[in-house]
Amino acid sequence: MNAYINAYASQSCAGNTDALMDAIYKQRSAITIDSTYIKDTPVGLGKMNKGDFFTILKDVVSQVLETSNLSNFHDTLLIVGSSVGGMAESERHFFQDKNYKNINPQKHIISVIEDTLVEHFSFLSARSISTACTSSANALLLAKRLIKVGAYANILVVGADELCSTTVCGFHALGVLSSKPCSPFDEARDGMNVAEAVAALLIQNRPTKDAVELAGVGASSDAYHMTNPDPTASGAFSAMKNALEDAAVAPEKVDYINAHGTGTVANDQVEALGVEKLFDDVYISSTKAVTGHTLGAAGALEAVVVCEVIKRGQIPPQTGLKKAQNENIHLATKVYKREIKYALSNSFAFGGNNTSILFGAVQ
Amino acid sequence: MKVTLKILKAEKIYAPVKIEELDEKRIVPNMMLRRRLTRNAKIMLYLADKCSYNNTKVVYGSAYGELQASTSITEAILREKQISPTLFQNSVYNTAPSYFSLLHSDKDEIITVSAGKNTSYEALRTAALQALISQEPVLCVVTECINIQRIEEVNTCSSYLEAGAAVVIDVIEEDATKISELKEADNKKIMESLKHIWWVVENKNGEKVSIEL
Repeated sequence: MNAYINAYASQSCAGNTDALMDAIYKQRSAITIDSTYIKDTPVGLGKMNKGDFFTILKDVVSQVLETSNLSNFHDTLLIVGSSVGGMAESERHFFQDKNYKNINPQKHIISVIEDTLVEHFSFLSARSISTACTSSANALLLAKRLIKVGAYANILVVGADELCSTTVCGFHALGVLSSKPCSPFDEARDGMNVAEAVAALLIQNRPTKDAVELAGVGASSDAYHMTNPDPTASGAFSAMKNALEDAAVAPEKVDYINAHGTGTVANDQVEALGVEKLFDDVYISSTKAVTGHTLGAAGALEAVVVCEVIKRGQIPPQTGLKKAQNENIHLATKVYKREIKYALSNSFAFGGNNTSILFGAVQ
Repeated sequence: MKVTLKILKAEKIYAPVKIEELDEKRIVPNMMLRRRLTRNAKIMLYLADKCSYNNTKVVYGSAYGELQASTSITEAILREKQISPTLFQNSVYNTAPSYFSLLHSDKDEIITVSAGKNTSYEALRTAALQALISQEPVLCVVTECINIQRIEEVNTCSSYLEAGAAVVIDVIEEDATKISELKEADNKKIMESLKHIWWVVENKNGEKVSIEL
């Protein structure tokens, strides 16, 4: 059984999906410079300016339902990908009270997102995946496999992560935050931008109008270091290769790669090497230069981007690029209009957790 | 859609406050690596060692994740102290299986499930899918370590602040004989997030269990 993405919606610092794609094609970063999270240290962050996070979460999922062929989610499995869950709310209580007494443990943990959606929409069943920055990419991986074996006809994948002090200050401790909008793959890049987003995609076993196929999924572990990627790129290479093999698609058939491309020195160098090893000539860009790194939501948000790229037939340019560090990969420097049959999206995470998803145009 | 699992190995461990004997020096001879391990990681490595399984797909589950690391980070932020990079890298929910991967040079897939009180049920379902897809045995481990300072301010659900259970499962052809439906353990002392895998470990080692994907 094949898997198809039939409806989706998103909200990020760049706005909804239409606003996001407009920003991506016009190379307009939505990163703002913030000095509230880290004392005396401005950092670039991707902040949503639309109110309460859980209201945005329900709004995005409502939009998917409205544009789908379903009248409700009662026969739909929900798979959430998130790396922080309700951490932001716990922090608010803890920083104010200086104790845990007003923290509801059930609203602290990852599953607060699925609990909120199950309560509001009533799903057939629900589970959450938390593999740091590959969380929602792995949710897509599982959704594809569950459709393939015929276990479900409808699966909603939601990637959702809210900005919080733990992630902003944590990445600062690792020394990988940029004080300006990030510039993935650039020779002078100096780090990433932590960001927040919600993205939801309805995966079904039959295509509807304007569907995109969830064609192949692949994953691997680096088994190298907790935060640094394997410098030989073997983990990234394996994840991409596994996704192509899952779809029985040769590397030369891929038209575009939406890179993990965080803007950190180590990630971009290794990802570029992995792409260079596997592909001869494919356009690549990272849309994190526009959205920032939305952590556990990134896989789902960038899946939405790739669906739009395939449907519009327009390869997005690399925002913030002045001089590429690796000239053996084909970074898109402007919008290229062409038929896009296959596009790959990469997500890599702490612990050397790598996931690649291949998307295909429906003929 | 239901599949039948054969439970190839099953282990569990628990303590009211802290599990004392996790055989860390033998399991992790490298001192630098051993010093960085979280409690969840130590328990996972112990259980995986007991199950004699170290090069396979892994499904790990935890409802509360790395609570010790994440509360230490928020404490440091509150007190305007520096955050240790190791503490931050150890705060993600997939920390324990990532150390497993590092220790055993296991480059296969790792999925971490966190589904509140249903965590071990959803971890087992995910492990069943991974075994069905790969046609290979899968290691499924669920741990909870909530022995943080002032845990009494929020803990109303568990008598065991550290606990974990592991199974090695394989999907087999249904033969309809001696298959049990998955249940949850009737043990009020353990966290709800562990109850399904606990029941499997206590009752079904070497036997067959039916599970909905």
